Amino acid sequence: MSDLDRYKLHPATFLELKLRMNYQHRAIAQLRACRPIPEAQVRELCHKARELLIEEGNVVTVTAPVTICGDIHGQFHDLMELFRVGGDVPDTNYLFMGDFVDRGFYSLESFLLLLCLKVRYPDRMTLIRGNHESRQITTVYGFYDECLRKYGSANVWRYCCEVFDYLALGAIVLGASTSLGESKGLMPEKSSSTQPDDEGIEIELLNHTGGVIDRFPRGQARNGARSSPSTKSSSSPAAKTGPPGTAASGYSRGSVGNTSGAVLCVHGGLSPLIDGIDKIRLLDRKQEVPHDGAMCDLLWSDPDEIDGWGLSPRGAGFLFGADIVKVFNHANDLSMIARAHQLVMEGFKEMFDNSIVTVWSAPNYCYRCGNIAAILELSEDGSGESMLARSNGEVNRSDGGVMKPSDRVLLAGPARRYRVFQAAPQDSRGMPAKKPVADYFL
Amino acid sequence: MSAPQIPNLLASRGGPRSRGGRGRGRGGGSTHTTQNRKDLDIQSTDTDAAVSRLSAVSLGYINDPYAAYFVNGAGTRRLPIINRGTYTRTTALDILINAFLSESNDTPPQKRQIISLGAGTDTRYFRLRAQNKHRNLIYHEFDFPTVCTTKSRIVSSNEALSKGDGNATMFVEPTKPTEPDSDPEPEWGFRARDGESETIYCCHPLDLRRLPYSPSMKELNSFHGIQSDIPTLLISECCLCYLEVDNARDVVKWFANRIPSLGIILYEPIGVDSPFGQMMVANLAARNITMPTVKVYKNLRDQKDRLSEMGFTDSDGGQGGETIERIWDQWVSSEEKERVDSLEGLDEVEEWQMLARHYAVVWGWRGSSGWESWKELL
Ligand SMILES: C[S@@+](CC[C@H](N)C(=O)[O-])C[C@H]1O[C@@H](n2cnc3c(N)ncnc32)[C@H](O)[C@@H]1O
Repeated sequence: MSDLDRYKLHPATFLELKLRMNYQHRAIAQLRACRPIPEAQVRELCHKARELLIEEGNVVTVTAPVTICGDIHGQFHDLMELFRVGGDVPDTNYLFMGDFVDRGFYSLESFLLLLCLKVRYPDRMTLIRGNHESRQITTVYGFYDECLRKYGSANVWRYCCEVFDYLALGAIVLGASTSLGESKGLMPEKSSSTQPDDEGIEIELLNHTGGVIDRFPRGQARNGARSSPSTKSSSSPAAKTGPPGTAASGYSRGSVGNTSGAVLCVHGGLSPLIDGIDKIRLLDRKQEVPHDGAMCDLLWSDPDEIDGWGLSPRGAGFLFGADIVKVFNHANDLSMIARAHQLVMEGFKEMFDNSIVTVWSAPNYCYRCGNIAAILELSEDGSGESMLARSNGEVNRSDGGVMKPSDRVLLAGPARRYRVFQAAPQDSRGMPAKKPVADYFL
Repeated sequence: MSAPQIPNLLASRGGPRSRGGRGRGRGGGSTHTTQNRKDLDIQSTDTDAAVSRLSAVSLGYINDPYAAYFVNGAGTRRLPIINRGTYTRTTALDILINAFLSESNDTPPQKRQIISLGAGTDTRYFRLRAQNKHRNLIYHEFDFPTVCTTKSRIVSSNEALSKGDGNATMFVEPTKPTEPDSDPEPEWGFRARDGESETIYCCHPLDLRRLPYSPSMKELNSFHGIQSDIPTLLISECCLCYLEVDNARDVVKWFANRIPSLGIILYEPIGVDSPFGQMMVANLAARNITMPTVKVYKNLRDQKDRLSEMGFTDSDGGQGGETIERIWDQWVSSEEKERVDSLEGLDEVEEWQMLARHYAVVWGWRGSSGWESWKELL
């Protein structure tokens, strides 16, 4: 059956669609080669993206499987590496938690490529807003200058900023399995079947070729945070959260192979003004990121080893402690919060008895920090829940049959597959050799 | 990220004098061209420092009306973390230097001396002069001849710099002909107009690497106006880190052997073993810049031991040291932090901490009197 038949389209409409696809295809190809597309095309792309994003709620509902990514910051070549490691679009579904632009040399190409992919594969790409997706921040941290440099005017920057205003503030991942499943990302050769089966593994850590660095069975993984290959020893700062099995959190995680509780994805973190996800849905998001208030906090806050709320050294948002996360997760039937926003040398860091994770996807951040990057894969559960169409709208999850009220405290955390990777080799970055790559105090 | 757009001030102004025969006797370098190339790259770090200073000044971090004279064009806006770092480093040195100078309140006023190694186009002397802190102070600067010549040209062509408080005249001291291997550029500076027409500021063109080993520089008086009998503060604000470890030590010892009451401030990177530090070494190497000392003095402890080795010990004086991260946290008042934070905001908190942890200010002194206020700082 041809597309024409399948969708019962009028031939003329169909032709136009085809042409559009071709043009989108070309734009994607050009951007994949790290070449900016003409201003007129940017304008059209941004227009389309806005039409699409305006339909999304403040909190987008996404169904597993999905690969969750943190900050990109214009490191285009590293974004390409991310797709290589995590699987290409549209084979892999992606959820990017903001901060696409600023700092790196290729904010424009990175953001436009992601946007093109969003327009082309709206159900397979989710983009939410980071604190750098803002007019004010981009004038300080490089994206504005980059647009001026590459187009000779601020028009393109303006188009992009208008898109920023429409980006969702968060996403809810449903239907993630409590056990690891297949993945479109790089996997080791089947021959290495010496691995214990996936059942019962809560956290798996893979390197950039898909090789297993480490695996943590459920229960043991709760021995505080897992982060890098190098800090997973008992001296890990996260071991603070208690020896294995003693983490008394009020959660008793469910058994293997079921649907896990939902995962909230947001760029920064929580807000003292927001006690429920429904409150996020009520915000008027279509504006520049304000200097304070709930919307600002979601994009700016950080978890910290404190009790309750604290002042943020960033001058915007708040710090929030383990107690805040646990109460919020419990009240909202979440098994976990995934967020970005903070540089983590090991690429990811789980905190507070695995109730929140920071994912950082810009390796060697600013070409200076020497850190590795990570992405987080959540597999689909086998129960058929994942057949639930991805919805952009205001889905009330309890109505979606995903869980019954009685399940609330029994929600297991999803099985997490982290893939870590390093910066793309210097010579593939296409940077003139003479350019200093980063500022230092000299 | 911003540096590539900045024209190399020194390369463009140094003219033909920066070429030809300059490699002579310099640091034992036998392959003159590579050595010259490398020297130029090291001299270019002064442009970085000057541009960073101007960025911090333009945005209101620090007050320095002289910074703009030493940058070609309008300069480049640096990132907030870099501006905060420039602010913190400048503040740290201000605090230590002001403490050193504040003791000249005693009667009769005690004369003091500052010797800034690799001063580049630093504006500190002009700032001290504007604050009237230059009385009873003799200020010396050392740098490569090209750098000193550039500075001389900029100072003499700008009244705000050359006029000073009206009580000084600029002088140029021709090189003594008795030194066959000396650099042809003259020493220059300011001399008081009244009284004994004493030298109050002097810029000495010299490749410091030669200082400890050159037979023609055995005496302190090989250099115009340097005195041995007054409390003297040696400053290396990112200069000695470009020298080989032994060479850097011998430069300090050269002064230490000739000036009994001596203090020192070193500002340079540390912590090269961390991933950030390794990246720094690699990134700077891509600019043809190596910092031999950071590979040996890896943390504050090492830096303090280095001071002890050079004679700045607790038994003969004292020493202290902090990272830039700690100086920002501990030395900057909360009102001042609030003011600085409000200038641009600073989103990159983790990056700031990491960057600031990789730079240190260490200081030490030896001698019985003249360092009381430094003792109080500890
Ligand atoms: C990074 S700049 C710092 C300038 C100034 N101290 C400041 O903090 O603004 C380093 C300076 O050290 C100077 N320098 C490096 N090696 C030197 C040497 N062997 N002799 C004289 N000057 C040197 C360079 O020319 C340059 O001006």
